[in-house]
Amino acid sequence: MQDHYDRLGLSPGATPAEIKAAYHAKLKEFPAHSHPQDFKAIRAAYEALRKAPRAEDDFFAEVPVQAELDPALLDQLQQRAIAAVDVTLEDLIRLTF
Amino acid sequence: MGQIVGIDLGTTNSIIAALEDGQPWVIPDEDGTVLLPSYVGMSDSGQLLVGQSAWRQYAAAPDRTVKSIKRQMGTDFTVTLGDRTYRPQEISAIILRSLKQRAEAMLEDEVTQAVITVPAYFTDAQRQATKEAGEIAGFEVLQILNEPTAAALVFDLDSEDSETVLVYDLGGGTFDVSIVEITGDVTEVLASHGNNRLGGDDFDRQLQRYLTDRFRQLHDTEVPNDAATQARLLQAAEQAKIALSEHAFTTVREPFLVSQGETALHLETDVAREDFENLIKPLLKETLDAIDRALSDADMTPDDIDRAILVGGSTRIPLVQNLVEGHLPDTPVSSFEPDLCVGMGAALQAGVLSGAAVDSILVDVSPHSLGIAAMMDTALGPMPGMFSTIIPRNSVIPTSQSQIYSTAADGQQIVEIEVFQGENPVAKENVPLGAFRIEGIPPKPAGVVQVEVHFDFDINGILTVTATEKGKGQQQSLVVNDTKTERLSSHELRQSRDAIASLFGALPLFDAEGDDGEWEDVDVEAEDQE
Ligand SMILES: Nc1ncnc2c1ncn2[C@@H]1O[C@H](COP(=O)(O)OP(=O)(O)OP(=O)(O)O)[C@@H](O)[C@H]1O
Ligand SMILES: [Mg+2]
Repeated sequence: MQDHYDRLGLSPGATPAEIKAAYHAKLKEFPAHSHPQDFKAIRAAYEALRKAPRAEDDFFAEVPVQAELDPALLDQLQQRAIAAVDVTLEDLIRLTF
Repeated sequence: MGQIVGIDLGTTNSIIAALEDGQPWVIPDEDGTVLLPSYVGMSDSGQLLVGQSAWRQYAAAPDRTVKSIKRQMGTDFTVTLGDRTYRPQEISAIILRSLKQRAEAMLEDEVTQAVITVPAYFTDAQRQATKEAGEIAGFEVLQILNEPTAAALVFDLDSEDSETVLVYDLGGGTFDVSIVEITGDVTEVLASHGNNRLGGDDFDRQLQRYLTDRFRQLHDTEVPNDAATQARLLQAAEQAKIALSEHAFTTVREPFLVSQGETALHLETDVAREDFENLIKPLLKETLDAIDRALSDADMTPDDIDRAILVGGSTRIPLVQNLVEGHLPDTPVSSFEPDLCVGMGAALQAGVLSGAAVDSILVDVSPHSLGIAAMMDTALGPMPGMFSTIIPRNSVIPTSQSQIYSTAADGQQIVEIEVFQGENPVAKENVPLGAFRIEGIPPKPAGVVQVEVHFDFDINGILTVTATEKGKGQQQSLVVNDTKTERLSSHELRQSRDAIASLFGALPLFDAEGDDGEWEDVDVEAEDQE
């Protein structure tokens, strides 16, 4: 994640508006037609940051899990995370020749 | 270095535009006409006709005149004119060459580099054929640019904020819808969808059929199926269609359409706008479905669209405007230089590529998914020949994507990579782009050997596929769609170029000396080559 922020010259916690402005500024520096490799990296960073959870709900990354967190909710989140990983693994296996 | 131009190579009309002081302007011919009808013909004396003169001879000589060649681009269709057969890219090259001459005469300078537009929904083969047409005409093709994207480059926004614009482009032969976000000088396409075989030509054909039925009712006899009669009817249909954009009724008069022994039979009938609308409504419904698909691909609802812009001659049909307005309630719908903005946008992009002082940044997408055939798990168990997407549709280009696959059988030593473009879950139902193999894989149990398939898709739609066997590191790659390796060899390209050039050199262009009637008013018609 930090890489993506660096790529666009941002620091974590940048707002969506800041992310977009930084992306546009980089596009001017590295247009697709003349700098395809840089363009792809900038685009990848933008897509990752745009889809990333915003800093305010990204507390897992920033703060250690708090004791007062509802254990049921935590359990649910964990299940969801496992399910997500499961799907990708399975997908990979499915994609056989 | 000569001038750089933008070209809108249309199904019905083509234009060429250049930049002056950073502003695009459309280059007229000597008579001041900017639209070049996309017609190519041979006069009875073997003279090459391009544009209005070819258009004029149409009804009289449909067998010596070609129209709507754009619909054949990327196919192996050929057409005979005089003593030679031509591929679609060669006919298109004649149109491009004529535009080049016009520009060189007007600019008094050599014109060698061009940006040429294509419908956003054009496939790979259609884009490639267009690029070849440009090269045959003697251009270096700097970029193949999507038509609705080109149109979007021309819109002047008054605000600094982002605006989300839906471009609805319905021309003579093709339909595209693109959702574009414009922020200052950054134009970003979010999604495109379309139909490469939907446009004014289809409306003409519907109305032609309707007129045929009317004739049968009036005279209790069939309209003969010869090319010349059908060409007259088709032309009458197009004129009636255009009249119905202005009026609630129009009268079609084709005297002496058919002779029956001593008597001549005329076609004379009124057509109501409503009748025409009923004929084309089902086709227009498809365009609304395409809007929905583009919206959903962009993750948007109609509420997210700030305005819709209509481009292309067929958007002059009032029903088209009404349907789009009804489909996007609360969104202002307007027209914007429907005939010219695509060519003007191409000129702007040409300026950007040549380093002229044009502040414009473009981010475009590829509307078709790209992938390979693979064995995949389905509801019916593992199935071979399924389409595994590697670059999903509406990905921003250029892009690079990889996917890891593994062998399906014990001891499998050969892996075949078959590349397709399309949206069907069954690989073979999509457009094949090429195939290659990796051989000599060490025999191992199924699923053990992994192969990484890497797709690299550049801004001009050139796809490079590389497959790497992870164990031994064997690598094979395929460049799909590179003119140097695919389809036309450079030798063939040169031959075409020389043949077309000699057509222009040896035979003076007839256009300038033709009669001076406005082509819109001339009562002749065209034959469709399909
Ligand atoms: N007033 C009108 N009412 C209805 N249709 C019209 C009108 N004027 C032009 N057309 C139709 O518009 C079509 C041509 O539009 P346009 O020049 O935008 O197409 P094109 O750019 O050549 O085609 P494409 O973009 O599909 O390759 C023709 O089918 C023509 O009959
Ligand atoms: Mg057009």
